[in-house]
Amino acid sequence: MGEGSGGSGGGGGSSSSCGSGPCGACKFLRRKCVPGCIFAPYFDSEQGAAHFAAVHKVFGASNVSKLLLHIPVHKRLDAVVTICYEAQARLRDPVYGCVAHIFALQQQVVNLQAELSYLQAHLATLELPSPPPPPPPPPTMVTPPPLSIADLPSASSVPATYDLSSLFDPLIQPSWAMQQRQMDPRQFGGSPGSTSVTGGGGDLQSLARELLHRHGSPPQGSMPCTGSLSSPSSSK
Amino acid sequence: MNSERCAACKYLRRRCPSDCIFAPYFPSNNPQRFACVHKIYGASNVGKMLQQLPTHKRVQAANSLYYEAQCRIQDPVYGCVGIISLLLQQIHNAENQLAKTQAEIAVLSNSHTQDSQFQQNFLLQQGNVGQSSSPSTQPSSWFK
Repeated sequence: MGEGSGGSGGGGGSSSSCGSGPCGACKFLRRKCVPGCIFAPYFDSEQGAAHFAAVHKVFGASNVSKLLLHIPVHKRLDAVVTICYEAQARLRDPVYGCVAHIFALQQQVVNLQAELSYLQAHLATLELPSPPPPPPPPPTMVTPPPLSIADLPSASSVPATYDLSSLFDPLIQPSWAMQQRQMDPRQFGGSPGSTSVTGGGGDLQSLARELLHRHGSPPQGSMPCTGSLSSPSSSK
Repeated sequence: MNSERCAACKYLRRRCPSDCIFAPYFPSNNPQRFACVHKIYGASNVGKMLQQLPTHKRVQAANSLYYEAQCRIQDPVYGCVGIISLLLQQIHNAENQLAKTQAEIAVLSNSHTQDSQFQQNFLLQQGNVGQSSSPSTQPSSWFK
């Protein structure tokens, strides 16, 4: 325990036993923050309480505690970041949570692939030796049928290793402008106040930036993979 | 009271009331669905979340909760964020491919345009020259 330096106040020490007061989680729960508190390294007493409030409301303290206990210590920070993100997304959009963001990204993938297919077909005609026929009309941007959750990728299709810091790489960020142009949030049936498409990615970025930064892992630029964040070992 | 308990009430080992909040979304023939959701969120939290929604939105809420719970069980560290990361990577790759293809099209289009202009100019010149030249220099003979 005690992994993650610079979490709450107190040099190096991350639990409340250094006299820095209860961690954000224990503050929220109004309980004594014991040495070795599982939440202490990740929820400082300042903004941690606000983050924990969301986590508690959606997941419950007990469930998160059990989840973290089953995760290797060096992976718990990433887990907390993603849990906080999902909790906040769920509070903002009680119907779809972060699945709305996934829908939007999946839709963008589909649209890009359609556009790519069209351009590759056009390229093929240009490469022919005979005079090219007039280019086919661009594909009409027919609104595809709304995606259903069954269409979404499953976690089993995701490689076990990736790096949260890659989310900060500007090259990997989607073209939000294109996405906004092509997306129709109404197809998700979410509430009008649901998480915006841009809000989804931006929230995860800012949340990860804040939590990772507090633990001395500044995410600016394309940081090299660090052992604490992106160990190639499986998280399972 | 339902004659058969829903998956949630079976899991929780309790009576299934006629107005059970879980029953429409966690049928008894899919016990794994509720087990998944319960493991991540807990029955109480799921019940509260569903209660706070209008009835016509609860199906999608239950489905999305199940999806997120599945993701979290399969990947306890990253959950749905793993999927998001994968999709972002796919988008990045597709945009790179698009840019590359558009560049190739631009190059080929320019090349075709220059070729046709060259041919036109050449034919025009030959047309002018051909009026005073021998038949052997007629363009039609070049293609034999």
